This record gives sequence, C-alpha cells and structure tokens, in this order.
Amino acid sequence: MTGKPRPDLNDTATAPYWEAAARHELVLRCCGGCGLVFFPPRELCPGCWSRDLSWQPVSGRGTVWTFTEVHVAFYDDTWADDVPYVVGVIELDEGPRLLANIVEPDVDGLAIGDRVEATFEDRPEDLTLPMFRIVR
Amino acid sequence: MLDGIAIVGVAETAIGKLPGRSAIGLQAEAGAAAVADASLAKADIDGVFSFSGYSQAMMLHAARVAEHLGLRPELAVVTDVGGPGTHHAALLNVAAAIDAGMCTAALCTYGENGISIRRSGRGRAPGTLTGGEDFEAPYGQIAMISGYALFAQRHMHLHGTTSEQLGAVAVTSRHHASLNDNAHKREPITLADHQASPMISSPLRRLDCSLISDAGGAFVVTSIARARSLGVPYARVLGYGSAVTHHSGSQAPDLYELGGPVSAGRAFERAGLTVADADAVYIHDACTFSVVAGVEALGLCGEGEGGPYAESGALALGSDCPVNLHGGMLSHGHAGGVFHLLDAVRQLQGSAGRRQVEGAAVVVAHGNGGVFSTFSTMVLGRGQ
Repeated sequence: MTGKPRPDLNDTATAPYWEAAARHELVLRCCGGCGLVFFPPRELCPGCWSRDLSWQPVSGRGTVWTFTEVHVAFYDDTWADDVPYVVGVIELDEGPRLLANIVEPDVDGLAIGDRVEATFEDRPEDLTLPMFRIVR
Repeated sequence: MLDGIAIVGVAETAIGKLPGRSAIGLQAEAGAAAVADASLAKADIDGVFSFSGYSQAMMLHAARVAEHLGLRPELAVVTDVGGPGTHHAALLNVAAAIDAGMCTAALCTYGENGISIRRSGRGRAPGTLTGGEDFEAPYGQIAMISGYALFAQRHMHLHGTTSEQLGAVAVTSRHHASLNDNAHKREPITLADHQASPMISSPLRRLDCSLISDAGGAFVVTSIARARSLGVPYARVLGYGSAVTHHSGSQAPDLYELGGPVSAGRAFERAGLTVADADAVYIHDACTFSVVAGVEALGLCGEGEGGPYAESGALALGSDCPVNLHGGMLSHGHAGGVFHLLDAVRQLQGSAGRRQVEGAAVVVAHGNGGVFSTFSTMVLGRGQ
C-alpha cells in the first residue's frame, strides 16, 4: 500500500494552517485590505490582491453544502480500508467553503443542510487533518 | 478570424481496450487518417496542435506528434484548457496562425491509452487530477467522478433530480452508440441495468460514469478557400465562447454561477443564433449529470429542469435537438474528449451514417474541463 496523499507542510503560504490543525484549531486567512475571509490560504487575497493578511481562528461550525459517499478505492488500494467514506463540502459559518471527510456519527442519514462541527484526525508524521462530525 | 477556417477532415482509431498501443501511436494513426479524409497529403501539413491527455502527461507533446509523423512544421502547439476547450482552443490557435500567414493546413491530434497505461503502472499518479493536491487529495477526493458527484448531489437537493433521470441519459447514450459501429460499448442497456449498477461515488453509479478508453482522434483545419478548392464537405465556425470560474472542485461557485450558461451565451451571441437553431448538440459527458447540466446551460430547458428534460426523451435521435449522437463518453469512448467535436463535424459533412440528422446545418459542441471549471462552446455550421 502506498501512503495516503499528504499536503506540503513546508509551503510558507499554508504551513500555519497545518500548524493550527496540529493544535486542533481551525484558522482561515483574513485580508487586512478588504476584510475577505478566505480558504484555502494563499500568498495574496484573491479578492483585492493585498498581501496584508492575518490568521483568524474560526468556530469550526458550518453546514453541509454538498457531499458524496465514495464506494470505490480508485487507482490502487490506498483507500481500500476506508471505503465507503464520505467527502463533504462544508460551508463554514464564517463564509468560506472547504472540503473534508464527514466522519461521525452515523453518516447514513446525512443530508445537505445538516449542521456539522470540526474534529481533528491525527495522521502519521506530524499531519493533522480537520474533519467534520454531524451535530444533531 | 475564426469565421475563415474550415474543419475538413476527421478520423478516429479503434476504441476500447487496445493493449500494447501507445497514446502517441494512436494519435499518429488518427492524424494520418484525418489528413486522408481531408483529401490532403502529408506535405500539405505545416502545423501540429495536440495534447497528451492526463493519463500520461508529456512535455512538448505536439513536437512529439510531429516527429512521430515525420513532419517539420513551423508550429507545434499544445493546448490544455480541459474538456472540449482543449480542442476548441486549438481551433483558435490555428485560426490565428492561418491569419498570420504561419500555417495553411494544421493537423490536430488527441487521444490516450487510458486503460492500458494505468494497468501498466506508468500512468499519472493518483491525487493530481482534481486540482486540490493539498486540500482535497488527503481526504480521498482523488477521482474526477467524486467531484462531479458533489454537484449531482446538490442538483438533486435543489431540484429533486432523480437517479432514474440520470439513468435516462445513460440509456439514450447507449442507444446512440448502438448506431455507431466504432463505439466502445454498443450493447443496449435499460433503466433497470442503470439502477442495478454499483454505486461509485454517490449519487453516481457505474453507468453514470464515462468510460475510460484507449483511442485516438484527429481533425484537420485549413482556410475556407482551401476547403472549397479541395471539394470536400467541411464544417465552419459560426460562434465560439468560453468561461472559467475556478480549478479545484471545492472552490467552485454554486450551480448557477458556473461558466456553462455564460460560455454558451457568448457563443450563440457571436453566431447570431440561439439554441433553437441547433440541429444537434454534443455535450462533454464525464458523467450523466454533465448532460443534465449541459442542456440547462445551453438553454434547451430551464434551470433545474435538466432531469425531467432527459427523462422526456428529448435527448434521442429523432427529437428536435438530439444530444451526443455518437454515444458520448458514456458509451462511445473517452480518450481526451475529442470525439464530440469529430461527430459534430460528421453531422455537418453528412457522413454520420445511421445516426445522421437529415440536413443538419448547425451543430453545437459544449462542455467543461476540470470539475465544471472551464467551459467552452463551439457553434459549427455546414460549409458551403
């Protein structure tokens, strides 16, 4: 089995996002120029191109915007032990949308519009991934 | 500029599982056949436009094609817009080159050995296809179809679109493929077959997914004046439009802020036509839902009505505006997505055989690359 894909933890534009995740905190980029809160983190604001950016801790709460349950381990056996797994696009209460797994509880009845909150999954070699669980 | 060019020759190789055939060999085979279809010769070709496809991406691909065919053109250009935009952008490039006096007849080649290269282990590494290497692939969002599934799910939520309505797209595509002797999958299927096919990435089942095929396809572009002197049937460009909104699937705007209607609107406006003028349309069908989104974007039905539209039989040969008469990527084959454009040209040449729309004068090729990321719409007319 090959390892699961990993983000580049050394990319200076995104490293603080992963460092916060390792502390089990969710942070987004906030633009000092126009106020836009955006994801994923970039070198400059996609709204106004300002480089005056700060990191803003966010609630981790949001709504399921859409999702898919993946039933097939594509390409090779990397995800064979995980199927079926749920990939959701979460609209955070602060505005931006991000993609993550919806991991618990009981994803069988999952529907667009369900409320979710962040949880964190520690993976090998200093990687922590933000995930989401359903709030009922 | 675009209104001065003609697509004069089209060709495709066998389509399916072709073990041992290289992608570039398939492209070269299709290329030579397209030149012959245009009643041109090797010595007439002074431009090469191509793309390697994604299953085994290559640098300087057009130069490779030129070398493979023993050509020494002034121009050997790769375009990679995604989906039909890749081939449509080649037409833009050829038109500019002809206008600049840099080219008189260009060969455009596409194709992949998507089945065989992956089985050989030399295909492109997983996790690089959906555009979210850092923020999507670690979550197992590694296949294009899962990106489309996210939008299909949202469409179902907003509009009550059903799996059976998506199934109608699959059944119609297979019916059209049954009329096409070169299609990868020709055995008719039923709605029950669709509903019984395994879930791949909900709500999309196996029969909602496009094929992966080994195949090559090619077309030849020259000036309308040259096409007339050759005395061959040809297609001309009546209008072209495009629109780009994002790359990564999770960064897409909502369904009705995607670029499809904008792209189509620009193309029809430049053509001075509406979708009511189209005799057939070809929609890049990475999945059945792409067709539902496509008929809405083109204006064949209203927003959210694509599911009932598909279920009504409006996609089939014999309707006012049939869709994907070659069988689409769902049934004819998927190797770079060029076959929609080739079959649109065949309709206008009058050479589409049992799937020919009698007297077809205006045919539209439309669709997206990425996950509804880049849209491209080409309105073609019968040359005269």
